[in-house]
Amino acid sequence: MYPTHRSDDERLDALLRAYRAACPDRDANANFMPELWQRIESRQTFTFSFRRMANGFVTAALALTVALAVFMAIPQKSAPTSPVSYLQALADANTVDAPETVGPVRLDLSDPGR
Amino acid sequence: MLVDFEVIRKAQKGDAAAFNELVLAYRKRILGTITRLIARTEDVEDVAQEVFLRLYFSLDQLRTAEVFEPWLYKLTVNAAYDYLRKQRRRQEYRMSDLSEQQVMMADALAGGKVEHDEQQQKNVREAVDSLLGAVSEADRILLMLKEVEGLSLKELEKIYKVNENALKVRLFRARQRVLKAFGASGKQVPTG
Repeated sequence: MYPTHRSDDERLDALLRAYRAACPDRDANANFMPELWQRIESRQTFTFSFRRMANGFVTAALALTVALAVFMAIPQKSAPTSPVSYLQALADANTVDAPETVGPVRLDLSDPGR
Repeated sequence: MLVDFEVIRKAQKGDAAAFNELVLAYRKRILGTITRLIARTEDVEDVAQEVFLRLYFSLDQLRTAEVFEPWLYKLTVNAAYDYLRKQRRRQEYRMSDLSEQQVMMADALAGGKVEHDEQQQKNVREAVDSLLGAVSEADRILLMLKEVEGLSLKELEKIYKVNENALKVRLFRARQRVLKAFGASGKQVPTG
């Protein structure tokens, strides 16, 4: 324990100095370097696989984009269009041969008593 | 610097032998720093390997070889932060682990296997760990780097990327919080 006349600051400093002495620098065990290189290689393998997978995705996306662009660029075969105008076509569909739809209204005035 | 700038430059270019040389030169220091930062001897090598792993994959981002040491310290601090955050999440696991350690310690003491000095050092470590366990990881790491590792304010500026005044304020506040915990702990701490 510390003498009572010392301030907390001094006590803390002394304690931290003692801690430094109680935890000296230490060396690693013999497996430190092999294990470190193993971890590096394993991380590299993972990074390499991830990069390869990412490259694959990018290539596939690029190919799909090009395919879509080509598909969009080719003129589509449109439905056959009539050379006549819309009004003409309408008129043709409703000819005078169909009087029930276009003829005048006939009023029956023969029986005025009704 | 523990190595020539040329070694760092070679390692940056992917020279495995140069990287090995770097690790061999710094590993003792980094292991010591991590031991003091995380206070869990059984995980120190794992965290140190993580530091060198990050170093390997980030060396190409290092602008100049002159700033290598602060860069390595920054990686060490970040790895220690990450570890301490994970540990906080595993609090229950840690508690059971600690009780196991305490049982082993008690057994060893009963058998008279532990020498007095070792016991004294262990007491100091436990006292500081418990004291710094009462403050945040940020406070713990900052105080450790300054007070235990002996880094200067200039070196800390490079690691934390803040100016000297801001660092002084942070250090002062961190120290106040530790002192408060120190006062609350009843000052029953050994120093050897």
